Amino acid sequence: MSLLRDILAELFSMFAGDAGLSTGIILIVAAAALASQFGAPLIGGALLLAGCLAVLAGAVLFAATKKK
Amino acid sequence: MLSWSMAAPAIASAFVASLVEVVEALTIVLAVVALRGWRPAIAGTLAALAALCAMVILLGPLLELVPLHALQIAIGILLLLFGLGWLRKASLRAAGIVALHDEDAIFAAEKAELGAEVARRAASRDWIAGMAAFKAVLLEGLEVVFIVIAVGAGRGLLVPAGLGALGACIVVLIIGAAVHRPLSQVPENTLKFVVGVMLSSFGVFWTGEGLGVPWPGEDLALFGFGVLFLSTGLLSALAARRIGTVA
Repeated sequence: MSLLRDILAELFSMFAGDAGLSTGIILIVAAAALASQFGAPLIGGALLLAGCLAVLAGAVLFAATKKK
Repeated sequence: MLSWSMAAPAIASAFVASLVEVVEALTIVLAVVALRGWRPAIAGTLAALAALCAMVILLGPLLELVPLHALQIAIGILLLLFGLGWLRKASLRAAGIVALHDEDAIFAAEKAELGAEVARRAASRDWIAGMAAFKAVLLEGLEVVFIVIAVGAGRGLLVPAGLGALGACIVVLIIGAAVHRPLSQVPENTLKFVVGVMLSSFGVFWTGEGLGVPWPGEDLALFGFGVLFLSTGLLSALAARRIGTVA
């Protein structure tokens, strides 16, 4: 049971270690999917790339500020 | 036909990511060797490798049943979650906000913890030591399996990515067996930074392809994404360090 718990904890930390970062990524993918669905796939792609870069910078700076 | 502009980053990502994970697993396996010898360490390691192989054999055929676009979106999102998580942590470590991974300290702590556990349960010492090796290889190996599948499945690159991971295992095992101590000189955070950049780039690329985005430059767009993620990670680390210094 302890092994199974460790495996589940490992999987959780792999993909959702930082709730803010994970939520941000899901929202950006959803926005990119909407843009692509409404006939603007290039805008969707730009949104996806820029959004991921912004979420990364935001998550690092947020963690640094929190530590302060 | 194999496209090298796509295969080379896939092989390199699998190799570097596996290097990091195998170094971490080796530290625990060596702690087991130091306490109880090679036998339980090798038994635990082989059992974990067999479990990981079974996972790949079971998952591989299932992936072929998923339509390509759905597979690209699912794997792309998982890569973004995993890759950006690594990049965030590597940036915070580079900024000095989070402590660096210290293989020597982990080796000492694991040896002490395992030693205490072994002393408590005299009847099953080798079993406990073998289980520690099994758990370490299985947990670190899970990440390797995910990375190989994630960078390889979208374009039929599972075999090249698997070979990249296997190459890393062989390199670390040879060096580990030769020096017989944790590989604390490996620049782990730099490697994690590089892997985070590569996985995040693949994540954006696959997710976009799954959504029907016609990336300018096609496969070569990956390199542009890499430069952007690397610059953002480095600049964020610099800004985070400044915030930490002001505090």
